[in-house]
Amino acid sequence: MKFDSRKYVIITFFVLIGIIYVFKLFYMQVVDDSWKLRAQQIAEKRRQITPPRAVVFDRFGKKIISNRTYYNLMMVEKNIIDLDTLAFAKLIGWTVEEVRERFIEIVEGEGKYTNPHTGKTTSNYQKIRPYPFIKELTAEEMASIAPHLPKYPGFYEQVASMRNYPYSCGANILGYLSEANREEIGKDRFYRPGSVIGRAGIERFYEKQFRGEKGVKYIVTSALNNEVGSYENGVYDTLAVQAESIHLGLDVILQQYGEKLMQNKKGTIVALEPNTGEVLAMVSSPSYDPNLLIGNRKIRQNYPKLLNNINKPLFPRPLASEYPPGSIFKLAQALIGMQEGVITKNSGFPCTKSLVGCHGHPSAQNVSQAVKMSCNPYFYYVTRKIIHQGKKKNAFHDAEIGLDRWARYMQSFGFGQRLKTDITGLRPGRIPNSKYYDKWYGHHRWQFSTIYSISIGQGEVTLTPLQMANLAAIMANRGWYYTPHFVKSIGDSGPLEEYTNKHYTMVDSKHFGPVVEGMRAVVEDPGGTAKLAKTEGIQICGKTGTAQNPHGKDHSIFISFAPMNEPKIAVAVFVENAGFGGTWAAPIASLMIEKYLKGEISDQLKEQRILEANLLED
Amino acid sequence: MRKSDSLTGNFDWILFAVYCILTLMGVATVYSTAFNEEHPHLLDFSQKYGKQVIWVLFSLFLGLLVFLIDSDIYKKFSIPIYAFTLVLLVVVLFMPAVNGAHAWLGIGSMGIQPAEFAKIGTAILLARFLSSINLKQQNIQTVLIANGIIIIPMILILLQPDAGTFVVFTSFLFVMYREGVTYDPLLLKLVNAIPGVKFRETWVGSHFIPILFVLIFLSVATLLISNQTIELSFLPGVQIAGIYGMFFFLFLFILLGYFFMRAIFPKRQRRRALIISVIALVLATILTGTVNVAFQKLASHQKDRIELVLGLKEDPDGDDYNRNRAMAAVGSGGFSGKGYRKASVSSVESNHVPESETDFIFCPFAEEWGFLGSIVLVGLYLFMLLRIVIIAERQRSTFNRVYAYAVAMILFYHFAINIGMNIEFAPVIGIPLPFFSYGGSSMMSFSIMMFILLKLDSQRKDVLG
Repeated sequence: MKFDSRKYVIITFFVLIGIIYVFKLFYMQVVDDSWKLRAQQIAEKRRQITPPRAVVFDRFGKKIISNRTYYNLMMVEKNIIDLDTLAFAKLIGWTVEEVRERFIEIVEGEGKYTNPHTGKTTSNYQKIRPYPFIKELTAEEMASIAPHLPKYPGFYEQVASMRNYPYSCGANILGYLSEANREEIGKDRFYRPGSVIGRAGIERFYEKQFRGEKGVKYIVTSALNNEVGSYENGVYDTLAVQAESIHLGLDVILQQYGEKLMQNKKGTIVALEPNTGEVLAMVSSPSYDPNLLIGNRKIRQNYPKLLNNINKPLFPRPLASEYPPGSIFKLAQALIGMQEGVITKNSGFPCTKSLVGCHGHPSAQNVSQAVKMSCNPYFYYVTRKIIHQGKKKNAFHDAEIGLDRWARYMQSFGFGQRLKTDITGLRPGRIPNSKYYDKWYGHHRWQFSTIYSISIGQGEVTLTPLQMANLAAIMANRGWYYTPHFVKSIGDSGPLEEYTNKHYTMVDSKHFGPVVEGMRAVVEDPGGTAKLAKTEGIQICGKTGTAQNPHGKDHSIFISFAPMNEPKIAVAVFVENAGFGGTWAAPIASLMIEKYLKGEISDQLKEQRILEANLLED
Repeated sequence: MRKSDSLTGNFDWILFAVYCILTLMGVATVYSTAFNEEHPHLLDFSQKYGKQVIWVLFSLFLGLLVFLIDSDIYKKFSIPIYAFTLVLLVVVLFMPAVNGAHAWLGIGSMGIQPAEFAKIGTAILLARFLSSINLKQQNIQTVLIANGIIIIPMILILLQPDAGTFVVFTSFLFVMYREGVTYDPLLLKLVNAIPGVKFRETWVGSHFIPILFVLIFLSVATLLISNQTIELSFLPGVQIAGIYGMFFFLFLFILLGYFFMRAIFPKRQRRRALIISVIALVLATILTGTVNVAFQKLASHQKDRIELVLGLKEDPDGDDYNRNRAMAAVGSGGFSGKGYRKASVSSVESNHVPESETDFIFCPFAEEWGFLGSIVLVGLYLFMLLRIVIIAERQRSTFNRVYAYAVAMILFYHFAINIGMNIEFAPVIGIPLPFFSYGGSSMMSFSIMMFILLKLDSQRKDVLG
């Protein structure tokens, strides 16, 4: 036949397609692994198991954050078959309307995604994904629901763990957990809808150390998507690993006591261990019980109240409030003056009240006396000598050089910069330098007389209470500090590396003696400003401060450490609108010191007076 | 004319055996894919596998009927049969739409798809027409009538709309090609319209269909590869545009073709092999280059559309959802598969691959049996196709041969497109895998088509030229 050879064309087509297909299949199924990964991704046959977060202990091994087991009622829409809404609502104790609303809420809560290429908008909600339908049921609540769940395919229980704070204190340190938002889920594959993430405090700062490692269980599901066993006998499964427990330097009993002392007062207490930099207590008052923010239901209930509270209990004052330090700043001025050689420990200045106001006291004959009496004119002179050293003839030029030198000294005390403390929400405070004043007054348009209020810790100078406590620790150590930090050890790691660097101030330790002697006198000697801090059997060194407050009563400030030799604790107390530093802050600090060093209070009356005081403005 | 004594006188047992193997594999795969724990029995007729068993048994019964009917009636009644299927195609347009297409005739799940049967009617009429005693292949009328026979049902099917079956109807063009129907008369009219040109015949016109398809294949392949870059392991960091890879493979392929032609051509024609190879290489390179450049010059929305049709666009949860899931299922099968009933991506209940028991049934099969299973399946279909070509070529009657080629080409299209959908070689158009996919209409229509072929073949000796 004429066209018989055309059969070869057709046969060639057949064979060619066959060969090409076999090659492609070989490539897809044997050579290329990407489709296997894609299949794993699609099949969602991995179940992720989130371990409970790390437990937290205080410095004496008391468990201050533990975990409690709760249950979530999960839902996978694709698996729901003919839901009897009425019966289901009855089972969970809701109305039918509430059940419907919850469905809508879940879908809408996921938001929408607009594809930038096609402009198409799709819901992020996926029918094949599990979403928590009811969260945080207690074991008792779940016990009544669980036996009936098999009647409602698509719903299942999931064990979840939530935080528990047995000592009900330290909320601003510990932080709280809440659900990861969409952005966080997008950024880190660890989080899924409903996963919790640290929101504040150390829970946030050490999120990765707290969360542990997720376990993955590969499961084979039957036709009805019920789990029928582990995949390949579990060879690919990994166990969820809870993060190692975290040990804080915190003394939870001291923390509790501090919170008690600060009740009905606005302000902060920060207590450090000077020779390690560990935070022993950090009170922000008013505060709140951390148990109020456990789990979504409570957060939804309590968070708005806390947020709108006029006293701002969520605000971490010790870290973020920038207060004028007042007279405690004089310690640093005296030290810098001696280091710069503009004064000696025996320098005396008259108490010239015409320059800056002062209270009635004899003129200071040396540094120690000046500290003891907190003489304002004395430190006016000292600071003027620091800033105007006569290196330039022009006073304006001279002030510029002097102030910048002064600012560098101050920065070596950890002022005017965010300390590298392991918590979020830190503020830097302010140490003004020449640039700062240039902005206000113009270049070479200011000198000491323009800015003299910094000499007594007023004006443009601000410190956070944490920096004040760190100043106390520097005084205790006679010249150096470890960055204040909360975490003592993660598991058995020991001190974290970043907190084993000693930071030396620019002042030699030999200059600290006279100043510390003055601090001792503040508490112990007649004419000292903090007689109320005197405590039987403990040699406390301190310095009062009274920060002028244009908006109301002065702030009461006291920083201290004890004992004088081989100090164990450094405390800074700041009570807003309470008046003179020696009246309120000093006795509070002394109580904290006594509580920590002795475990009990000898002067019940002193304690009583503090506990009963209500210094809140109404 | 002498009739053979027994019903199965010259029965082709080999083809029948392949048919049976594929059907059984199909039932097994449907059972695995659609498995329902609450109805584990294969013969549970509430389940898809139970129904599929019924369809298979009913198809065998229809096959028996076919064997009881004299094979002459197909030729005799080809026009009424064709007309009847056309009527069904018209009637179905007035039926309520299922999944957006007016494709189903009947009630609920027990309906049939007339388009499946229209293939048989068209094959028979085409066979009748091409076996006319005074058929002039060179006549312009011949080509028009032959095309008309296939175009009428194609239009009706497009109205449903059913793009898959529409495409399958182009398989008849190859049947016409085999029988020598040429597009030369049409082409000559065009060419000779140029003043001073006077051709009597053109090579392009008579081989129009295979050339057309090679061109389409090359163009699609070019588009597929044009967006990709190749990185060679011995040249790290150097990215080569995909089109050069295409050129390279064309060269390699044509080189192989040249040696193949040298081997089969008689000695004096070896020069011809070289000429053909060079011309083919030049033309193919020009074509792919032009397509590549033209595609890059297209407006972006036109590009988008083409890319989406070809599956070039990564849109795993959107328009390309099915293919992406299907490829994941196939690819995850690995060398030896996950094991029977252990498909994790493509089982009906996990439902990651929609239509995994019908149009995408290759997925669960390839996932369960891996590359080994896939080559067995591809091998079986290839064997079946070649067997049908052998059967076709041994027919004395042109009618039988045309019909056999029609069957081969339809099966080939279904096989190539259905499996191609799963491996990025064909657009996702829903057509079943013959004898394999779940579904009454396709099972019955393919079986009838096959049994008519077996019947015709068994009586091939009763017919004169």
